[in-house]
Amino acid sequence: MKTLLSALALVVGFAAAGVAEEASSRRVDFRNDLIPMFTKNGCNAGACHGAAIGRGGFKLSLYGGDPASDYEAIVRQRQGRRIHLLDPAGSLIYRKPAEYVQHGGGAVFEDQSESARLLLRWIEQGASPVSRRELVDVAITPAKHVSRSLDEPIALRAVAHYADGSTRDVTRWTIFKAEDASAVAVDPASATTRVLRPGRHIVIARYLNTVVPIELVVPLAESTIDLADEAQSNFIDQRVLESLAALGLSPSPVCDDATYLRRVSLDLTGRLPSPQQVRDFLDDDRADKRRVLVDRLLEGEAFQQYWTLQLAKLLRISPPQGDQQAAQAYHRWVADQVKRDASYRQLARTLILASGDTHVVGPANFYRTTTGPREQAEFVSELFMGSRLRCANCHNHPLDRWTQDDYHGLAAVFAKVEQGETVRPKPDGQTIHPRTLEPAAERIPGEFFLADSATDGRQQFADWLTDPANPYFAKAIVNRLWQRMMGRGLVEPVDDFRDTNPATHPVLLDQLAEDFIQHGYRLRRTLRLIANSTTYARSANATAENKDDDRFYSHALRRPLEAEVLADAISDVLGVADRYGDQPVGTRAVTLVSPATASPALDILGRCDRSGACESSSRSAGGLPQKLHLFNGDLLNARIAAEGGRLERLRLEGKRSMEVIQAFYLAALSRPPTNREREHWQTQLNGLGSHHARQAFLEDFVWGLLTCEEFVTNH
Amino acid sequence: MNHLKRCVGVVRRDVLRIGGLSALGIGLGDFFRLRRAAAAETSPVAKAKSCILIWLDGGPSHLETFDPKPDAPREVRGPLDSIATGIAGVRLGECLQRTATIMDKMAIVRSMTSPLGEHNFGTHYLMTGYKPSPALEYPTFGATLAHERERTGVLPPHVAVPEFSRNVSGNGFLPRGTEPFSVGGNPERPDFKVRDLDFYRGLDLDRLDRRRRIVNALDAFARSRDASALSQSDPDLEQAYDLIASPSAKAAFDLSDEPASVRNRYGRSGGNGIGQSCLLARRLVERGVPFVTVNSAGWDTHQNIIQLKQRYAGDRNAHLPSLDRAYSALIQDLDERGLLGETLVVVMGEFGRTPKINSGGGRDHWPNVFSVALAGGGVKGGQIIGSSDPLGELPHDQPVTPSDLAATIYTLLGIDPSHELHTGDGRPVRVAADGARIVAQLFG
Repeated sequence: MKTLLSALALVVGFAAAGVAEEASSRRVDFRNDLIPMFTKNGCNAGACHGAAIGRGGFKLSLYGGDPASDYEAIVRQRQGRRIHLLDPAGSLIYRKPAEYVQHGGGAVFEDQSESARLLLRWIEQGASPVSRRELVDVAITPAKHVSRSLDEPIALRAVAHYADGSTRDVTRWTIFKAEDASAVAVDPASATTRVLRPGRHIVIARYLNTVVPIELVVPLAESTIDLADEAQSNFIDQRVLESLAALGLSPSPVCDDATYLRRVSLDLTGRLPSPQQVRDFLDDDRADKRRVLVDRLLEGEAFQQYWTLQLAKLLRISPPQGDQQAAQAYHRWVADQVKRDASYRQLARTLILASGDTHVVGPANFYRTTTGPREQAEFVSELFMGSRLRCANCHNHPLDRWTQDDYHGLAAVFAKVEQGETVRPKPDGQTIHPRTLEPAAERIPGEFFLADSATDGRQQFADWLTDPANPYFAKAIVNRLWQRMMGRGLVEPVDDFRDTNPATHPVLLDQLAEDFIQHGYRLRRTLRLIANSTTYARSANATAENKDDDRFYSHALRRPLEAEVLADAISDVLGVADRYGDQPVGTRAVTLVSPATASPALDILGRCDRSGACESSSRSAGGLPQKLHLFNGDLLNARIAAEGGRLERLRLEGKRSMEVIQAFYLAALSRPPTNREREHWQTQLNGLGSHHARQAFLEDFVWGLLTCEEFVTNH
Repeated sequence: MNHLKRCVGVVRRDVLRIGGLSALGIGLGDFFRLRRAAAAETSPVAKAKSCILIWLDGGPSHLETFDPKPDAPREVRGPLDSIATGIAGVRLGECLQRTATIMDKMAIVRSMTSPLGEHNFGTHYLMTGYKPSPALEYPTFGATLAHERERTGVLPPHVAVPEFSRNVSGNGFLPRGTEPFSVGGNPERPDFKVRDLDFYRGLDLDRLDRRRRIVNALDAFARSRDASALSQSDPDLEQAYDLIASPSAKAAFDLSDEPASVRNRYGRSGGNGIGQSCLLARRLVERGVPFVTVNSAGWDTHQNIIQLKQRYAGDRNAHLPSLDRAYSALIQDLDERGLLGETLVVVMGEFGRTPKINSGGGRDHWPNVFSVALAGGGVKGGQIIGSSDPLGELPHDQPVTPSDLAATIYTLLGIDPSHELHTGDGRPVRVAADGARIVAQLFG
């Protein structure tokens, strides 16, 4: 019985092979034909044999990144049982996906399919590893497509270009995948795509190691709009308006003075403007008062404190193993850099090249941020290159250029640094490359290996990284500054720069980086540029036309206040300081060095512990425990009516209830109430008879003010 | 791709496959085993509506609890004895006397195995079914359940008594709303109260209602200017208010509502509040909370393992007797109330302990083999699954990984292990790790 069935299997197999005859004249090329077939069928995807440990004892490199090892796995491993040269259809490599035998991945292709024929033909021809052609490029068309309407089929095409000058249409073996499947539909059979939702969308094309983004645009408005008359303050506005015009998005108007004052004060200094500052600014009738304001904020101490916090978060400053002294030294050094408006390029170089006693040499703590050279390589790449090298630890990055050699090569550079209380060179330090199981060779990522004799790996890396021509360094930081100011990076996430995650405004990003480089890598320069742009000053109130836009800056984005900023704002509005650990009374949360300083308020408000990148932590303020605490806990209740606080002072001054409400509007929302709001609150007050009842109402009002969205967000 | 479909696999060319398998040297027995595994992975077995996880934080010794080695040399056997149970041939640690009488309701997996012997890593692996990765923190069972189940009632869907483990965030990459709600405090204390449920001094529900309305009015004013604003009020604020305003929901947390006899049955002290915590957990699942974690700290017994039994003469409240009281009371109480069939109760920690007693009379971390106890919620009682070797060092047969256990727990709770969740940046991640195998033998 068994014999009979096995024979039957062979017959079916031979029949399949017979069908392939018509094209058998052409040689099947392992690298250029077979691997794309595996990729197209998902065999070497991360969920199947492309996993770092393979699947079912069979491991392929992720998306065919390492053809040599794939050949080894297919032809040589398991005593060559996967390939049966005399009986191609009896090869395990065929019997599994065609599901003649139990296959964890089920039936991958049919006998008569092109994939099956290709595979069998390759084995018939001797299962050779030889590749006759060397792929140099894959041209994907269109690179960008603008349609006027939804649902219009767009044909996609991939043409491989080889070193010998020949070309071949490889559309059939190219994978097209929409970044957002709810916005773009891809039909693999016909290699066409349709846009389902207006906007700008990305489809990723993958052929062998090449990944290419395709940009698809369907304007959000029916007809084109003319934004030529919109105000422009600098090149930022020009670039943003160009993209708004292309998308048919009409921008919201510029916000009023009070809104601008609150927004820019929070962004540049992490503080609310005082009521007096609000009144002065509203009364100021100079035409250039916003520019004057920005200049004044950038020069102040509050700017230094707040932007020291921003850099401390970026650098993940936290006492290493509880070493407060080290963190203090690091923090002091960073504060000094911010105060002096030091060059960010110089800052990066100093950090990368730092050595010495971490209690004395602040920047040496850069090497105490992580616990090993690999972690340091990941941290440095995310920080200074905005790139997630970490994916390349176990396999070549599936969506980017990074290889395992890049990852472990950069780790090898950092292995030559001793990471301890005293940071010093460690000439014999090394890290093991998981593929070769040998010490990894030092390498500048994406560029070149260092000479074996090199003793200045860090120097070479710093020189490469901070060279004005470096494609990552300046863009990574200006993109972060943009994100801090605008609520969304031009590249988002900000630590995930790659060709397949293109910037929403690539030219703007280039220009910002160029401007930053030309002006000496000064943070204040770029922050000023953004703060002075019309784009930055737009209202956060969306219009009916632009309400669906969350990335083209047709209106400002509302952003939750950081825990530290919110905690300080609550204290400022209530006029009652909070306590942070054993710090002196009056210490502001934004100045705390350690993210672990004891503070129930910061815990409730959701601070970043800096164990990872603060930008990517899900910092959705709120949650049930926070709201329960606001209702019944200390954070607000213990201080609303406290002695010496704002509410009590106003009461002692004999202010009328409506005056108290107006004073709190000014302190918390940095604006007077509108007429409608005033009427609303007056009606509420009118219903209250006794003085006691009015006091209680005012406490409730202050509570509500400190809980409402307008207060807890920057907008 | 639909993994589920692949696993069921309308078995293509079945007949041929048998021949093929034989040709490859895999016997028919294996084939049927594969088939059974495939079938089990999809059969609808979900009976559990809720789950109580009794988390023995620090890593409980398997040798003193669910996998004693009475025949092993003294340095492995340890200072404690073992006792017989209602199931012939099955013995438990001597302190689990009451537990021994309910073995017919319990299943013990004695062949759990993991490579991770560090608290944070082990906790992450056991509580999520995924080994920790620097790139992604995975959601714990409760968070996934909170995310997937439709919200009913006012009580939060994922509750930790009294606190959640500090080794994991709880919600992982899922939205913050799925994180465990920690009740805080010490349930043993007579004045035990859930944090922030009771009014701040001088306030009452009318004031809170007015505060909520003031926030809603302020939000409505702000939103009226913004065409993109949501029209509903802040859901967290509303939920918090509803919880505070609902006497019945608040009453769920009120242990003083229980008769003294019930409170005593669970144990009034010991095991870091495990008795009253289990009682609170029962009150919560009774009211429809899908997932409750009871956290009992203090199982990291590097010194004097004997102190798990008693710390001083006459001590009745050491960790093991406290666990025994609380666990057996919970199972019996749930059973008497007709809730056991729909409530899965899992007892575990992040790993087991070294088989050899160390020089300090304690046992160190040992993830290579350890035990997990399951009961209720569709688990077939009265069985031991897998075994460890004679010295309790490695699985002897049927090794079960934390990923396998997670896939099994999710299946019992009616969540398809191959169902995909999405990270913040849209990456799809399976509920249970790819390749995890369900322990079908557990299903009743």
